[in-house]
Amino acid sequence: MPKIRFLLTDGAELAVEAQSGRTLMETALENSVPGIIAECNGSAACATCHVVLPENIMSALGPISEHENDMLDFAEAPREPGSRLSCQIKVSDALDNVSVRIPAA
Amino acid sequence: MSEAVKVVDDVAFEDLLANPYPVFKRVRDLGPVVKVEAANIMMVTRFDDIIAIERDPETFSSINPQSLLNTVIGPNLMRKDGDDHARERAAMDPSLRPGVVKRCWADPMRAICDDVISQIEHRGEAELFDELAAPIAARALADILGFDDVDWRTMALWSQSLIDGSGNYSHNPEIARKAREAANGVESAVDRMLPHHRDNPNPSMLSSMLQADPPQTVEQIYANIKVAIGGGLNETRDSILTLILGLLQNPDQLARVRAEPSLWGPAFEEAVRWISPIGMYPRRLTRDMEISGTLVRKGEQVGLCVGAANHDDRRFSDPEKFDIFREEKSHLAFGAGSHFCAGTWVSRALVSQIAVPTVFERLRNLRLKNPDHIRIRGWVFRGPTHMPVVWDA
Repeated sequence: MPKIRFLLTDGAELAVEAQSGRTLMETALENSVPGIIAECNGSAACATCHVVLPENIMSALGPISEHENDMLDFAEAPREPGSRLSCQIKVSDALDNVSVRIPAA
Repeated sequence: MSEAVKVVDDVAFEDLLANPYPVFKRVRDLGPVVKVEAANIMMVTRFDDIIAIERDPETFSSINPQSLLNTVIGPNLMRKDGDDHARERAAMDPSLRPGVVKRCWADPMRAICDDVISQIEHRGEAELFDELAAPIAARALADILGFDDVDWRTMALWSQSLIDGSGNYSHNPEIARKAREAANGVESAVDRMLPHHRDNPNPSMLSSMLQADPPQTVEQIYANIKVAIGGGLNETRDSILTLILGLLQNPDQLARVRAEPSLWGPAFEEAVRWISPIGMYPRRLTRDMEISGTLVRKGEQVGLCVGAANHDDRRFSDPEKFDIFREEKSHLAFGAGSHFCAGTWVSRALVSQIAVPTVFERLRNLRLKNPDHIRIRGWVFRGPTHMPVVWDA
């Protein structure tokens, strides 16, 4: 099982075992990661599950849809090069030991 | 050992319409699921319970082919789940995404607001429901749908008639007739406009539905355009009025917002938390399930009272107060889960970035004409129904 390292807005780290195939958003909710609200429960409609990933793993995650791309510009925390909606990312070995930062609004 | 659903049988329907919040508080304190006889529904009123329910659509389904909503407007995405819902939602979303709103709709919406305000500005007095909020909401919606020949009063009549028809549990024949007339009117308007949108792809919702993969059928277009009219006009109108009301009743907060325009966003979110335009929507159980210890049976329907959840004092301190500076910001006014309001980003832009800031900019020293006689009504749908104001013309 991949291990995900959530970096919280207060600087703390929360490392969790994640199940492949679940989304990163679901993994965050199951582990009560603060800052992941996910109002729309994975429909990419609310932009409240914004995370920032290291840029060097972005290509391994596949392309960002036009819809997600649009939403990311309007998330509460400013968009960064590694920004994604965590509901649109499936957990895989590519995320093992990767730091997933929750951006401060 | 699970608890049985408690019953409240001494509340009159009129109490709910006049002010549901005291009823909501009583029900919320009584139990997680309470049958309110006057409304003939089991209410879920606590914030955390509604969030949990909306994260489990397989148990708490939106599918309900026999619902009045389906009878009145046809099979539509509000009463579907899973892929069926997602496909129809994806056919509307390209017109409603925040970036599209900014690029395509902000300028036309600004022009509509300027035009509506120009018609009253010189008078120094107006009734904001009919003379401002309803025309702005209706005209903006007509633009976004792709209707270019429907006036705002017709849009408003359709919206009200479809909403009334969907809640016509007493089967009043006059309400049913008006709803049918509205449905026919919408279908004719769609028929008139489809050829244009087929030949000229554009950001409107009719065009998005035709461009979707797979393209939506005419029946899907009819039904979901009716959903957009029933769900995109009254709520926008009501939130314009509620935001104006909250700020007029709290001049200190108004002064802060005007000095610091980044506060318009939080002010809008607080307005729709404070008086949520949609107070309740239903879900049907696909299996027996406990909601915080109270057992509800398969096949039963529960009413998710987001209006109540937005006043849940376990989450919001002094929930009756309009306070744009409150700590806890996220609310349930747009619902939660996959049916999260599709028009959220349009309403945020129209109400908090364009309409209400323009109102306060152009109508100088705006104030309520009768501060002690504010009329606010409804519980499933709620908002100010009459708002006379004066300003320095």
